[in-house]
Amino acid sequence: MIGVSRQQLVSLSVFAALAIGWEILASVYTVEAQPGEPMVAGWGTLFTRTLLSLSDYWQGGFGVPAVADGAARSYPAALLSIISHSLATLSRLASGLMLGGLFGLALGLAVSWSPWSRRLVQLPTQFLRALPLLAMVPLFQLWFGTYFFGQVLFVSYGVGVIVFAGVVNAVRTIPQIYIDNARVLGASRSHLYRTVILPAILPAMRSVVLLSLGAGWGAVLAAEYLGAQSGLGYIIVYAQQFGLLDRMFLIALLFILYTSASYWVIERLFTRLLAWSPSSQATNQ
Amino acid sequence: MFVAIWELASVFVSPIILPGPFSVLQRAAADFWSAPALSYYGVEDPSLAANLAYTAENVAIAAVIGAAIGVTLGLLSARVWFLRAAMDPIMMTAGTVPILIAAPFLLIWFGVGRASAVSLVAFYIVVILYVSSQRAALNLDPIYENSALTLGARRGRMLRDILIPGTIPEILGGFRIALAGAWGLEAVSELLGSQSGIGKVLEVLAGATDPQGILATLLLLGCAAILTDGLAATLIARFAAWRFAGS
Amino acid sequence: MTTDSSRRMIELVHLARNYTRADGQRVSAVDDVSLIVPEGEFVCLIGPSGCGKSTLLQMIAGLVGPSSGAIVVDGKEIDGPGRERGMVFQRDSVFPWMRVIDNVEYGLKCRGVAAGARRDIARDYLKRVGLSHVERAWPRELSGGMLKRVAIAAVFANGGEVLLLDEPFGALDYVTRRQLQEVLLDLWEEPGRAVPTVVFVTHDVDEALLLADRIVAMRNGGIVDDIAVGAARPRDTDTLLLPDMVAIKHTLLGHLGLAHAARAPAGERGAA
Repeated sequence: MIGVSRQQLVSLSVFAALAIGWEILASVYTVEAQPGEPMVAGWGTLFTRTLLSLSDYWQGGFGVPAVADGAARSYPAALLSIISHSLATLSRLASGLMLGGLFGLALGLAVSWSPWSRRLVQLPTQFLRALPLLAMVPLFQLWFGTYFFGQVLFVSYGVGVIVFAGVVNAVRTIPQIYIDNARVLGASRSHLYRTVILPAILPAMRSVVLLSLGAGWGAVLAAEYLGAQSGLGYIIVYAQQFGLLDRMFLIALLFILYTSASYWVIERLFTRLLAWSPSSQATNQ
Repeated sequence: MFVAIWELASVFVSPIILPGPFSVLQRAAADFWSAPALSYYGVEDPSLAANLAYTAENVAIAAVIGAAIGVTLGLLSARVWFLRAAMDPIMMTAGTVPILIAAPFLLIWFGVGRASAVSLVAFYIVVILYVSSQRAALNLDPIYENSALTLGARRGRMLRDILIPGTIPEILGGFRIALAGAWGLEAVSELLGSQSGIGKVLEVLAGATDPQGILATLLLLGCAAILTDGLAATLIARFAAWRFAGS
Repeated sequence: MTTDSSRRMIELVHLARNYTRADGQRVSAVDDVSLIVPEGEFVCLIGPSGCGKSTLLQMIAGLVGPSSGAIVVDGKEIDGPGRERGMVFQRDSVFPWMRVIDNVEYGLKCRGVAAGARRDIARDYLKRVGLSHVERAWPRELSGGMLKRVAIAAVFANGGEVLLLDEPFGALDYVTRRQLQEVLLDLWEEPGRAVPTVVFVTHDVDEALLLADRIVAMRNGGIVDDIAVGAARPRDTDTLLLPDMVAIKHTLLGHLGLAHAARAPAGERGAA
């Protein structure tokens, strides 16, 4: 008996069916949004012509000239453009995640130091959390510009609010018995934080981190849609203005790959970190 | 206290960048019913209230459609293994990718108008409620079904007596979360391409470098989101009283 | 007290239930069990963990189908669960989304009894189990013992001819358990209605001796003993000390694998 279960077989066939369906649709629905640009591009076209067309977005350098300067489209150019724009998007996301995560964590722990401060920030935090994050792009663009700094700040704001609220909540719900135990064994306040509180909030932080990852990706994409000059979101929106659906689709596939990979990495990381946790959330499903 | 900090900050920073809280409130009140300046920029209904209503309508329509599809699929998938095996991978992937990725495609297919925004938000809600409903149904202890059967209930009663009452708290919880994100998603969809709505207003005001207006609009949007969140909370308190501790 | 003219309420004919384990091995949970329970009798099924008593009960309830053999209740072969075979489970089965009174009414509601009538019946049974004061409470507000009373009230209010209980008091403390045994017997012996036939699964020997007319011992999926308990009711802890009862207890302990040789006299007891 092969190691593949019934369920996995059905899941795989669904993906296969979707892929085949797409190909069939491409050959049947030959409507073009622009002359020469099909709305539904088959897999073959995607990985040849569409891929090549991505070289349009390469600015030139590394010995590969830019299409804008009159050079022909080429695979190396396409590859370089994919890499450079991916890096742009990923660097914004990573910086935003780290900045927001660290700030959120530090502030959250600081606020949890005394119940007085915790109660004080409760209302403003709830209000900030209620403000729809994605609607605030124009505000951040106005204040901080549409370049790297502004985008990273936007992402870190979104991430920071989630992490802050999550940390405060996690510290609040640590079973008192662990803290009592440490105190009775003679731990000082700071030692308590390092050795008891940080590990104890780790299980709760798993869902917080996954949430902020989702928010981070959404924030990066929104920021790139609305005024970036580079990045995968920029390519999609730029292509959309010319109705170049095939390029949009290719980049979207790439994007899906990145997000799925990021989730997979984080989940693996937490499974390792939470090996000690009795909660079923830490086990593979 | 938050307001105090804000007021303090606005004193130090020029009002062009950070307007004080009171001026923002004044602006929000003034522009609520009529803001003729907006029509200058091509906004269809020149008032904050009208655009807020447009956005709210879209959210509402998307919520109804999304809930109907998401809950039905989710509950069914918990009982029909084939459906679950087929839908789970799609839903899980959709759960990791920001739904915004679909926005440009929808704009091309449906053009600028309600349809693209509503379908985006509806899809978002479908994914969240699918996961909530499926989990709620899977977590529902089979002992209740067995107990009902030995008390003489026929199979047909199961949906009404057991499955729905038993899963409502978790589904409503998911709905509350989905609603919060729905507002932002709707606003961004409008920002990308729309003739009306809060998103359009924000875009216009940003172009006119009007932080006071932007803050005022965001304030109203935030209030709307808080309002619906409160409504969802009341629903939960009413229909899930049996589950959650509290007076 | 079985007489030839007693109606056969439950009849198990060469009942068997098999499972295939994850590693492919076939396991026999119930292995060729035949049993006749006359109307109105209180039978206890006793045995060690994994002997098949719970599976057998689930089959009588109709929640699990037999691999072979037949189950005949009141002359009809059963086909799935039904209200004539009410069941009280070990875990809490009271619907948490309905108030106590609605839970007790549930079976009657399924049958289509009018709202007023079923409310009266439900109130009556709540009174009998001592829970009139929590009629409108949510199940999450009640203790384990109270929830068990609600479950019992609901099943009795439904008026089935057969009552099945699957280690119902196993998760409760000693005092609550004894109280609930009293409650159960009171309802069972209630005058003015037909005495229900009871099949009660337990691993507690004392409980079986206090409650049953007849004790059926199981081991490895089959019946290994069938003992009539003749002690008069009402029974109490002193009843357990009667020589007949002690003898039965020893036999049962033997079936459970807990028998031990008679203790040596005091002088020879070295390191125990």
